[in-house]
Amino acid sequence: MNLVGRPVPRREDERILRGRTRYLDDIDPPGAAHVAFVRSPFAHARIASVAVPDDLDGVFAVITAADLERVGDLPVQGIEGGEVSAEGHPVLARDEVRYAGQPVAAVLAESRALAEDAAELVEVDYEPLDPVLDARSSEVTMSRWHKVAGDVDGAFASAAHVVRATHALARLAPVPMEPRGAIASYDQAEDQLTVWVSAQDSHRQLAGLAKVLDRPEESIHVIVPDVGGAFGSKGAPAPETMLVAAAALATGRTVKWAEDREENFVASYQGRGVEADVELALDEDGRMLALRARMWADLGGYLMPTTAIPTHTTAMLMCGVYDIRAADVEIVGRRTNKVPTGPYRGAGRPEAAYFVECTVDVAARELGIDPLELRRRNLIRDLPYETALGWTYDSGDYARCLDAAVELVRPERHSDDERVVGTGFGMYVERAGGQFETAEAELLPDGRVLVRSGSSPHGQGHDTTFAQLAAERLGVGIDDVELRFGDSREVPRGVGTFASRSVAMGGSAVVQAVGALKEKCDAVAGGRSMSLREIAEAEPGLRASARFESDLVFSSGAYGAVVEIERATGRLRVLRLAAVDDAGTIVNPLLAEGQVIGGTAQGLGQCLVEQAAYDEEGNPTFASFVGYSLLTAAEMPPVVTAFVESASPLNPLGAKGIGEGGSIGTPGAVANAVADALGGVRIDPPFTEDKLWRALR
Amino acid sequence: MKPPPFAYHAPQSVEEALPLLAEEASVLAGGQSLVPLLNLRLARPEAVVDLGGVAELDYIDAREGPLRIGAMTRQATLERSEPVSRGWPLLRKAVRHVGHPQIRSRGTVGGSVAHADPAAELPAALIALGARFHLRSAGGERTVDASEFFLGPLYTVREPDELLVEIEVPEQPDGTGSGFAEHARTHGDFATAGAAAAICPSRARIALFGAGPVPARAEAAERAVAEGAAPREAAALAAEEIDDEHRRALCAELARRAIEEAMR
Amino acid sequence: MRIAVEINGSAYEGEVEPRTLLSDFIRHGAGLTGTKVGCEQGVCGACTVQLDGEPVRSCLMLAVQANGRSLRTVEGLSPDGEFHPLQRAFHEAHALQCGFCTPGFLMSMEAFLREHPDPDDEEVREALAGNLCRCTGYLGIIEAVEHAAREMREGR
Repeated sequence: MNLVGRPVPRREDERILRGRTRYLDDIDPPGAAHVAFVRSPFAHARIASVAVPDDLDGVFAVITAADLERVGDLPVQGIEGGEVSAEGHPVLARDEVRYAGQPVAAVLAESRALAEDAAELVEVDYEPLDPVLDARSSEVTMSRWHKVAGDVDGAFASAAHVVRATHALARLAPVPMEPRGAIASYDQAEDQLTVWVSAQDSHRQLAGLAKVLDRPEESIHVIVPDVGGAFGSKGAPAPETMLVAAAALATGRTVKWAEDREENFVASYQGRGVEADVELALDEDGRMLALRARMWADLGGYLMPTTAIPTHTTAMLMCGVYDIRAADVEIVGRRTNKVPTGPYRGAGRPEAAYFVECTVDVAARELGIDPLELRRRNLIRDLPYETALGWTYDSGDYARCLDAAVELVRPERHSDDERVVGTGFGMYVERAGGQFETAEAELLPDGRVLVRSGSSPHGQGHDTTFAQLAAERLGVGIDDVELRFGDSREVPRGVGTFASRSVAMGGSAVVQAVGALKEKCDAVAGGRSMSLREIAEAEPGLRASARFESDLVFSSGAYGAVVEIERATGRLRVLRLAAVDDAGTIVNPLLAEGQVIGGTAQGLGQCLVEQAAYDEEGNPTFASFVGYSLLTAAEMPPVVTAFVESASPLNPLGAKGIGEGGSIGTPGAVANAVADALGGVRIDPPFTEDKLWRALR
Repeated sequence: MKPPPFAYHAPQSVEEALPLLAEEASVLAGGQSLVPLLNLRLARPEAVVDLGGVAELDYIDAREGPLRIGAMTRQATLERSEPVSRGWPLLRKAVRHVGHPQIRSRGTVGGSVAHADPAAELPAALIALGARFHLRSAGGERTVDASEFFLGPLYTVREPDELLVEIEVPEQPDGTGSGFAEHARTHGDFATAGAAAAICPSRARIALFGAGPVPARAEAAERAVAEGAAPREAAALAAEEIDDEHRRALCAELARRAIEEAMR
Repeated sequence: MRIAVEINGSAYEGEVEPRTLLSDFIRHGAGLTGTKVGCEQGVCGACTVQLDGEPVRSCLMLAVQANGRSLRTVEGLSPDGEFHPLQRAFHEAHALQCGFCTPGFLMSMEAFLREHPDPDDEEVREALAGNLCRCTGYLGIIEAVEHAAREMREGR
């Protein structure tokens, strides 16, 4: 039965379409205490005191940092080859707040409305301090990574051309349609803490809770319900989740926090926020000899567990898809009085792709070489390829992706009194997968197979994709496979869903576990022709598990964009986009295309309308949808997609990752198209009308 | 975000409603502007007076002479009205730009006028049509021209104890063409700027919104059109006073489109 | 205040404050959690339900305003079990990923297609603009609505 590679529609859909889902806020434990946070209105301030009035209507408790002495700060993950400060984000602010929206106190009340009423009455005595809002000028470095490979100085000294360019990608808000949330319940008799959390996996939540609350992991049960999108923002445990759990432990009540949209905008960690000064040394034939990059990441007030990771990723990918043998790349993460940044769809790869691809177009213009030709002269053609910076790209066919993008986008360039039209391309290579993933397969009495996976879907369709993989491996129908995700007591401890890892890692683990189960079944059958049900009757309880480990795999692609700018208003219209992605073997092309289009929409959002900007006092201007726009269906251009499938040698599926390519490849292509339309004038996103209008004058 | 607590009244007639009006009471018409403010706790009235039960304010009367619209008429009703479409097409063009269908199911014509968001479409269209607004209070009645009603962003001549009860739109001269253009970041978003035009051989009325603190007639542009100037010239006059270069260009472009459409 | 609301043909009663939002009454009062809440400011459309057949944002209505009125939510879209053509089309076109926005889209589009059975592509896109989706990038949703419209015109 050939299921892999087929566009199987999703099994998940029925429940969703009938409204039978259960996201975090749909869970209504009777008698729960509802949480509203007191959040700092200041970007930077000392806290002199916190006074809680008595007799607050409907309030069970008000928790401040003083009540959390035995609760630790959130941990901080380091980066390979770099330095990261160990100071993490406190659950509740103690004597200082470092961003507007930072949680200072938590009110537990009979209802969210009463909790919000009471939160307004908590008196916090703030002594405002001047905020620092710019990474370059901030004096506090929280992370640093620097690598020099090859004879960079020599290459620059002897180069026929040195091209310099500065680029920036503004901060973005992830804006999943479902905000964050957590519910915690403590059984004192059993000393068991149960936490439901809208998250990207149960594993990191569990580890974080155990560490911060100083409890053994076996005493914590994490359940991930249906999740309404995350895009990276629900990966690292949130301070609010820790508070909910600590509150349940302290009060013995079930405690619920359902984040609202305003909180999600101001307090959920953001993406991007990086500036780069890039220098490229080329010889007289346009061959790239060396690259220098100095980059500043605007990390916000604190390091969240994964804040520094995208910076490392960006730095490691600064040679892009090009054969550049010498590189000097440094990225510093500076503290600013803004909400922290963290992984957001692309998580460092869009930054690298953007900086490199924009620089390549600048170089093409300065050298007088066609931008496609310049790329073709420098593409890596022989893979696997170890980059100067240290990663090994496992497989890929960059030239083929580029050719396909050119053909699919149908380049166009013209100009008249009313409008200008330009075309641009952006390539990318990105890291996916890595670490390990787990799966367990169990033969059920009725002959169906139950697979428990460490991966954790939040819209990607793992239930269908993994069922395709398992069913094909077993030689059964897709309905004979059942998947289980998200409950820490039900699934093996694994890594989770982020960094486009689930098919490559989770899928491989599923295939291995199911394969091992099949071998056991075949052994029981001993050559006889037996159905799985008969085998289960003969030997009940057959099971197998797998832990699949792998180095990083590298997806890649080429995006093309044709844009039109209206002279009278500066209005930008993306006329069409071509997205060519190489994610190795595609298990379900229907779902894979959905990921590409979704990612592309986010990339376009960055280009057209999205920007999480703070004003001069450090107040967020994006506290609601009035200040932060998302694209609607009316703005989406036609998008043509294509897959090149350079199988990865690093897993049994040959698969890589497809979840983020759309957000990685789009900004560079659109930026280059805009620059093409503007005759070479370079602008960073968002490409707002007044920027474009002025550039055209 | 949950609203702060408030007292709630649901009068069933204008007479019942009037004594409830006060500084600290917010009028709830369609709720599409008030409820977000309540949810964000940007509005904290002591009481909310819900006009949803005041059926006498929900009507469109085009039987003879001017168009009379009850303040509680839903925007969707205005959008679907045949007589409005025939006699006052500019209103239909403008209302179709108000938010999204889900907003227009509930939002009211009177609510949009009384809320006076500077980016709102209906106030500008009503100004271009020469509308008059009828206000009632426990103490009496008065009528205010649309062009004099708006004082600033979210601020009108309506006193806290007054209720906007009717929007009256005069008949338009034969051959009046209408044009409407607006610009927003994304479809259905609050407008950045826009223009409404009602033009006939003897008279031009052009109103801009989003260009300043209130929607206003562009009188220099109107005179220019009446004197036979090309739309582009007239539009430039409409936007003349705007400081920011790009905004000026944008408003001029929108005015030009509205004027051209009205003159077709 | 005590209110009585008909939802999907059944009667629901409950005690609410004036400030209780209709979205919260539907979800937590009536226990019909198919309707989702994404913003409470009337922009995202996840909370869209139908009031007497008209699509409305339930987060922008007070529960008391629905007293004595009739609502339909996503749970009432296919009462006898058979998928509505829109539900079928969404499934086939992969017009949903995380699913959080989906009920709102279904309730908005069912009303739209009832009133505009033969929309062109631009009309569909504009009608969809009142609902936000962060996962799909919309192209699958546009395809689903156009397909459902065709099916419904052909009486299927």
